Amino acid sequence: MAIANFRMSAAVLVLGALGMSVMAPTQVRAEAPAVDPAATRILKRSTDYLAGLHRFSADTQNTLEAVLQSGQKIQFDAAASFIVQRPDKLRAERKGDLLDQVFYYDGKTLTLYNPSQDVYATVAAPDTLEKMMDFARSSLDIFAPAGDLLYRDAYERLMQDVTGGLVVGKSTIGGVVCEQLAFSGPEVDWQIWIEDGDKPLPRKYVITTKSVAGWPQYSVVMDNWNVAPTLAQGQFSFVPPADAKKVDFLPLAANRATR
Amino acid sequence: MKILLKPAVIAAFSVVMLFGELSSQAPLGIQLVPAAHAIIGLPFTPLSFAGVARRTAFRTMAWTGAAAATSAAAAETAAAEQQAALARQQAAATEAAIYVPPSPPPAAAGNPLPLGTVVSSLPAGCTSTPVGGVDYFYCGGNFYRAAFQGSQLVYVTAKP
Repeated sequence: MAIANFRMSAAVLVLGALGMSVMAPTQVRAEAPAVDPAATRILKRSTDYLAGLHRFSADTQNTLEAVLQSGQKIQFDAAASFIVQRPDKLRAERKGDLLDQVFYYDGKTLTLYNPSQDVYATVAAPDTLEKMMDFARSSLDIFAPAGDLLYRDAYERLMQDVTGGLVVGKSTIGGVVCEQLAFSGPEVDWQIWIEDGDKPLPRKYVITTKSVAGWPQYSVVMDNWNVAPTLAQGQFSFVPPADAKKVDFLPLAANRATR
Repeated sequence: MKILLKPAVIAAFSVVMLFGELSSQAPLGIQLVPAAHAIIGLPFTPLSFAGVARRTAFRTMAWTGAAAATSAAAAETAAAEQQAALARQQAAATEAAIYVPPSPPPAAAGNPLPLGTVVSSLPAGCTSTPVGGVDYFYCGGNFYRAAFQGSQLVYVTAKP
């Protein structure tokens, strides 16, 4: 019996092995990352185009979704506009009733200015746009969600965790015909709409965070792209108004009761 | 009750820079939401999955926890303050949340908050006092000075 069992087991093993070897290619095909090369090609064309622009500007409409404890979602909208000059200049502003803010980066310093309160803070910043955005996030807690797209290596950053990607098809954003792409990763899914034609600009960008209950989304719609904006003198440098008050950035460690 | 949620939302917005800065109009809207609902989550920033220093922020956020801890710190004994500070440090260490500046607790005169306490807005009735070129705001037994926390303007208790 023992021998019979052994033979049986061996046979099963052999069969199993055969079966696996037969099945394997199929499984690989089924699970393989369904990152459609057509999707990455369109994306890369866009990120390369943006990376190659010396300067550009656009207006954005942003929606941030918050998930309440009940699971109910609330969306918040805001408008912003920005202008970039590579490799080391950025100005971004948003206007609101109570909290206007302008962000200045001139290659040497980074400044936040709240015109309504006439308060600003300035800090020395790294010498490229990319390093500045990393610095702002890691050292000052200032995030630029769609700032991914501003990096010259945006493609690599975006695709880092991606396990799936597909071309959804044509979609019209703000009257502009785009190609809609959808990518997925373990924690985050995202979609991007890229303009058809010889200016493959991103027109919309949606991020779905799956690792937070309720899968909140952040979306930004970009409009009024200008790939050769006229620069005003001193546009990227902050000159404080006479009465403006200078304040500090709290160090991140200031999240304590005492310091 | 409103004030519990409002600063949380403002703080949440403060992380949305450049493209995404959310205006203060939104907190006005959120006042319709009872504070008991609180906020548990917001989207990651793309950089938190696609960039350097991944997972540095935007985990599920314990907004109410942070606010409650600070209220306790203001109202209770030194021991409670230490616990609250510890909890906050742990939250930071575990990348659990972007810190939510609470609304100013109703501190009575002569009941000062610990130095370095961050609030999202000044209590009512503060008077501005320049000391050595810096504007301090005095009220409720505390001096505050303005500062940016992320892209949000906050007020920090300080000694002039």
